[in-house]
Amino acid sequence: MISGARQAEPSWFHRLVARAMARRLTVFVVPGPDVARAYGLDIEAAGLQVVDTPRHAGVLLLIGDPPKGLREAAAVANAQMPRPRAIFAVGAGDVSPLPEPDLLVDMNQEDVAAGVEELRRSFAAGAFAPETEDFEAEVVREDEDDEGEMDPGHMHHDSDEEEDESDDGEDEGDQNDQDLDEPEEKEVGEDQLEDFMSMIEMTEGMPASGDGLIMEWVPAAYGPLFPGLPGGLSLVFTLDGDTVAETEVEPGIEGHSPVEILYGPVERIAERAAKLDSLTPVSYGLLIQRAIESTSGTRIGEEEALSRVGALERERAASHLGWAASFGFLIGDRSLSRGAGRLQIALLQAANVGEVGRIKGDVEDFVHKTLRTPLLGSKLGGIGIVDGSGAENAIGPVARAAGFETDARSEDPAYQDLGFAPVVRDGNDALTRFQLRLEEIRQSLNLVLEAGAMAATGSTDSDDSSGTGTATVETPRGMAALRVTLEDGMVTNVQLDAPSMCNVRLVETVTMGKEVADALAGVGSLDLSPWEMSG
Amino acid sequence: MSALQQYALLLGMVVGAVGFVLSVYGIARSLGKTRREPGKDVPATSGRLSREPVWARYHVRYYGYALLFLAFDMEMAYMYPWAVVYRELGLKALLDMGVFLAILYLGLLYGWSQGAFRRQR
Amino acid sequence: MSTAIVILALLAGAYVVAVLEGWAATGRFQPAGPALDAVALLGRESVVTRSSDRIFFEVGPVLLLISALLAAAVLPLAPGLIITDLATGALFVNAALAYVMVALLMAGWGPDGVYAMVGGWRFLGQLVGYSMLIVMPLTTVAMRAESLFTTRIVESQGAMWNVVFQPLGFVLFFLAALAVCFLPPFDLPTAPGELAGGVMSEYTGARLGIMRLARMVLVVTLSVTVTVFFLGGWLGPVLPPWAWTLGKSLVVAAAMLFAGRYVPRVREEHFLQWCWKYGIPLALINILYVGIVLLVVGK
Repeated sequence: MISGARQAEPSWFHRLVARAMARRLTVFVVPGPDVARAYGLDIEAAGLQVVDTPRHAGVLLLIGDPPKGLREAAAVANAQMPRPRAIFAVGAGDVSPLPEPDLLVDMNQEDVAAGVEELRRSFAAGAFAPETEDFEAEVVREDEDDEGEMDPGHMHHDSDEEEDESDDGEDEGDQNDQDLDEPEEKEVGEDQLEDFMSMIEMTEGMPASGDGLIMEWVPAAYGPLFPGLPGGLSLVFTLDGDTVAETEVEPGIEGHSPVEILYGPVERIAERAAKLDSLTPVSYGLLIQRAIESTSGTRIGEEEALSRVGALERERAASHLGWAASFGFLIGDRSLSRGAGRLQIALLQAANVGEVGRIKGDVEDFVHKTLRTPLLGSKLGGIGIVDGSGAENAIGPVARAAGFETDARSEDPAYQDLGFAPVVRDGNDALTRFQLRLEEIRQSLNLVLEAGAMAATGSTDSDDSSGTGTATVETPRGMAALRVTLEDGMVTNVQLDAPSMCNVRLVETVTMGKEVADALAGVGSLDLSPWEMSG
Repeated sequence: MSALQQYALLLGMVVGAVGFVLSVYGIARSLGKTRREPGKDVPATSGRLSREPVWARYHVRYYGYALLFLAFDMEMAYMYPWAVVYRELGLKALLDMGVFLAILYLGLLYGWSQGAFRRQR
Repeated sequence: MSTAIVILALLAGAYVVAVLEGWAATGRFQPAGPALDAVALLGRESVVTRSSDRIFFEVGPVLLLISALLAAAVLPLAPGLIITDLATGALFVNAALAYVMVALLMAGWGPDGVYAMVGGWRFLGQLVGYSMLIVMPLTTVAMRAESLFTTRIVESQGAMWNVVFQPLGFVLFFLAALAVCFLPPFDLPTAPGELAGGVMSEYTGARLGIMRLARMVLVVTLSVTVTVFFLGGWLGPVLPPWAWTLGKSLVVAAAMLFAGRYVPRVREEHFLQWCWKYGIPLALINILYVGIVLLVVGK
């Protein structure tokens, strides 16, 4: 019996339907398809069809160990999936408040594919069961007081109505001090017009839109599990029609603190740093490595430096390809989304530089073809512009697309030896950022091939070193800076400046007053990662 | 078939389609009832429980286009019978309708110049 | 009798189109896909959102199916093979397709969910854009045929198909047909990346099945419409007439499904601007052009 079986006595018809459902499993991915690709998993190739709303899904797919905030969101999504439903966990640990997963496999493609086959069997056998239980979780129960808070327009409406009803007992003459043309209408047939309110009264005190009309604003959650945005990023838009009137971003994911992950003994810190942001594990591993090395003042050899360059650049290319896949899905370009996803997984699975060389041709074709997509200019041109001071304070590809030549790699001697020059464009909109990242993919692959090696090694010996060290690394999203204090081989103090924390301040400029599709494209073009943000 | 019979047949088709849909719902219902669980009937908004209700005065931004659309839609209603007798009437029909369309087109140009053809912020 | 044949042909066409759409979306050709999906959807629970407008919620998918069927009822698959050969055939097609908008607005308003609401109203904006581009080429086609009977429209293309006679009208009509069935790049109401499914997001189980079926029938209907009005319907040398209709409709449907794969979704603002600033003047020029040609060629 699967965890979300439907209650019925299985007859031949039920079994037929269950077998059909097992053949066509639809899956809702938590935290998102981008995280699955970053781990090197190709879900479509494993036989599952990814859908974008839990209502169309039969299987809830949990990738990695989701932190508390995401587990609660997944519980809500699970409650909204129609039965029969199953939970498929890949490399996950504790998944409360969700029920026990129906299947738990390790994080690699073969196990996932084998798991899908087993899931099909359990679905066909257990989709319908005579006895089932409700899925109860606290997060799924609604709070009654939430409804009043988010509702300024309606609350005002109610208070006006109360005022009018209390006025009915008084003299007609001094009833209305609100509106001058009201009293005549109130006198005639007062009984029918007890609840009458003119538009002016009804919309009094409500904010006006850009064209002067006063309409009702609705809060819409583009929450942690929205398919077009990075998985885990929580936005709440207050929509005025289809335009964004207000924006709220939640910095980071509840229950995931990138800084706290790093505390502890120095021994296994590289592994812990990789868990900091599963989308860019190599960058953060390298960052902490360099910071520890700078505490003890060790210098690394040239070969090792080149190898690190290769690893970092490979990850950059893969990250940009993953971003292009998510972004393509957001803007509705299917071939971009699929092509980029496939190339990202192939690149992540490349075992050595030779294989990367073989992929390079495909990537070049892909970049060339994508840059010439028809109507891309009209879709992205002028979207997501960050004006004035915002652009100066931006970081990473967002800044480089605004004409600022800020790149931490320019100061790195290993890169200088390879003749590195950052890609800079002047355009400051989503189209420019798109083109810039595609260019960076090309540049990164060339750097990998020139470096000749891509293994990020270097051990942190567990000596009882103490001291403070700083390091910077140009992650795919921008420069990350780390300052770490060691005491007797334990990390005691960590200060992390992650690029997404800097770029998240641009979300408001990019979304306010824009149509919701343009706002989402703008946010997508910033390439934020909620995993490296700390609340 | 007379026109009345044809429309009766179309009505029959509509009823048949509704009947088909209801029978599909009936078959689906025979597999079991929908279980009422907490949170299941809240509209799905990407991992959060959504507010109730969403029915509000929706602010459409294309009302400039909508006004001109009304004018052109009325025009198209006149063009159907005109198209059928066009070849019979010849040049006169072309000129008559040409004047009508030109006037409407001038209206379109006026609207364009006054900013009706943009997203009304 | 012909009613039954036409309806069966429509359903078979809808199945083929569903397979094609699966192929276009996932890159894999799975002939048993739609059948399995249909059976699987029967087994899912049908969830009705709390505080939904029940009437709108229920009527939306059904109305979408009905409007597609009604539009298909006046289209001839072969001489004599038509459900109702209405005297106002061409007009009736447009009238029936207007209910697609009503159905999607109902589907958007009914569930009381914000994604569906935005999707529904976006489709109304789309309609304000594409509506004239459907009607104006229809008028020119009727001008050439001197009648609104769809059978006579096909017969009038004996000498030359309308796609050659008025290529501008064909292009505009084809793009507007893409917009009516909200296929990419005009899939504003159901945008997967921006609205997480939009108008279809709150439908589950059998209702979702009916909505998807209705959408497939709509695509088939629009393909047959393009074939009948612009590609000469059943006309063609060697094969039997119904084979020509089906073949041409299949080509049009494939073109409609595969055209939008390589292009990003159109922005609502741009769609309306392009339709009204460029589309309608071009359609008017087309009417003028056809009018002059018909006068000159004469008879």
